[in-house]
Amino acid sequence: MEPVTTTSIECQGLRKRYGRTVAVDGLSFTVEPGRVTGFVGPNGAGKSTTMRVILGLDAPDAGTALVCGQPYRSLRAPLRRVGALLDAGAIHPGRRARDHLLWMAQSNGLPPKRVDEVLEGVGLASVARRRAGGFSLGMKQRLGIAAALLGDAPVLLFDEPVNGLDPEGIHWIRGLLRGLAGQGRAVFVSSHLMSELEDTADHLIVVARGRLVADISVADLLARASGDQVLLRTARPAEAIATLTAGGATAALTGPETVTVTGLPGERITALLAGLPISELTAYRASLEQAYLELTRDGAEYTAARVA
Amino acid sequence: MILRAEWTKLHTVRSTAWLALATVITTTGLGAAASALTAGGDLAKASLSGVYCGQVVVVVLAVLAMTNEYASGLVCTTLACAPRRTRVLIAKAVAVTATAAGAGLLGVAGSLVAARILLQDKGFTATAGPTLRAAAGTVLYLGLIALLSLGIATALRHTAPALTTVFGLLYLFPLFGQLISDERWHARIEQYAPMPAGLAVQATTNLGDVPVGPWTGLGTLAAYAGTALLFGAALFITRDA
Repeated sequence: MEPVTTTSIECQGLRKRYGRTVAVDGLSFTVEPGRVTGFVGPNGAGKSTTMRVILGLDAPDAGTALVCGQPYRSLRAPLRRVGALLDAGAIHPGRRARDHLLWMAQSNGLPPKRVDEVLEGVGLASVARRRAGGFSLGMKQRLGIAAALLGDAPVLLFDEPVNGLDPEGIHWIRGLLRGLAGQGRAVFVSSHLMSELEDTADHLIVVARGRLVADISVADLLARASGDQVLLRTARPAEAIATLTAGGATAALTGPETVTVTGLPGERITALLAGLPISELTAYRASLEQAYLELTRDGAEYTAARVA
Repeated sequence: MILRAEWTKLHTVRSTAWLALATVITTTGLGAAASALTAGGDLAKASLSGVYCGQVVVVVLAVLAMTNEYASGLVCTTLACAPRRTRVLIAKAVAVTATAAGAGLLGVAGSLVAARILLQDKGFTATAGPTLRAAAGTVLYLGLIALLSLGIATALRHTAPALTTVFGLLYLFPLFGQLISDERWHARIEQYAPMPAGLAVQATTNLGDVPVGPWTGLGTLAAYAGTALLFGAALFITRDA
């Protein structure tokens, strides 16, 4: 893997229209190395178009998309820089799996043994000599992922990689994406279902109708949606409320022995309440899906300060 | 790198081998049949007339090499691997033309062998200068037909319209020529339509009396192929994949 010297993917004011439809409308964001960045939005939000523009397949009407600091079309041996899975079905049904990867490897001067390595890595080694037309959807998806991994690139793009996979396949892809980010690569994954990215993405770029809705870390988004509430169960609620209020929190009795606390993290609460009997202390955690719905319901365009 | 990749891509689908084989068989087969049945006249031209059939297969081979990529969406993978599109098209053109001309060479060689056997008593010699020129010209003709087809397929992207356009361009003009009685128009079609002009390279007798010289005619076809390829390239480079 070549070291990443500049921002992995950088889009500035991207605009793209097809006929009268504006697919992408002034989109700006960056994708950082070492984490999984989810690219989320409903179908037709412009995710695939953005990825096609990043890969130099479609030319934007305005704005720029840079990969490793350069336009994709100017990259030499681009597979060594960027690995991409756009459409797993885009294979010739009559070509053997290994041959499909072989011509790709040859086009970027990669050794044939790399083909066997990635086939092994995605679990397709035993069917390497089978024609891709006979592959199941899951096998095609694995072949597409093998193609993305071929150049050992520091930047990886996956367009809806989970589509049509069985639970085992979904589990496998999640582990793979986490592992790739763990190696320091920039992993950019689109999905129209936020729940698919739960426990996988570190950061989210949320789009709707071609515009940016949010550029936010998953932790921030969850904290925002959860409203940083903590549920406390204690036999002496009145004393707890008094202590917490004095400590700067907002605390209210929401059940016979239940206090809902906001404004303080769990560790501070336990520290303040040392000596009081606490039978339960739970952080209220919204699901990513709930957080996403809240985001899109507002319709507002807001961007959290990016963690440096 | 990209040439090697395009060669691998072309030759790792079964259809390429079958179509190349079909080019050889139809060119030789029809050529041998014409040799067996010819009454006389231009024996070399008759022995090489299998090209009328062989070129149909070459057109299909060259068109599919491009339109298959658009049909499956593979073209996006191709351009992600090799974003410099001019190079991609050149590499594909070299791979397709070499394959078509290679099959054409075998088909033409087969035709000459058949003619040697069948036309020996009529005075046919495969090694005569004009015959060799006709044979080499036929191989080049098939290569140019492949380039013409690839250019049109690149511009149109879909199999059916591309095949229709190429076959129309090749066969409609001679068909009109048969319907038109005016001698001048007849000569113009022979001179400027891609197939009759290109196949002028096969003439070995009455060379003073042909509407277009052998190499001039092949040059006309080359101009068609070059124009189609440039047109296809301009669209391929500027258009969204």
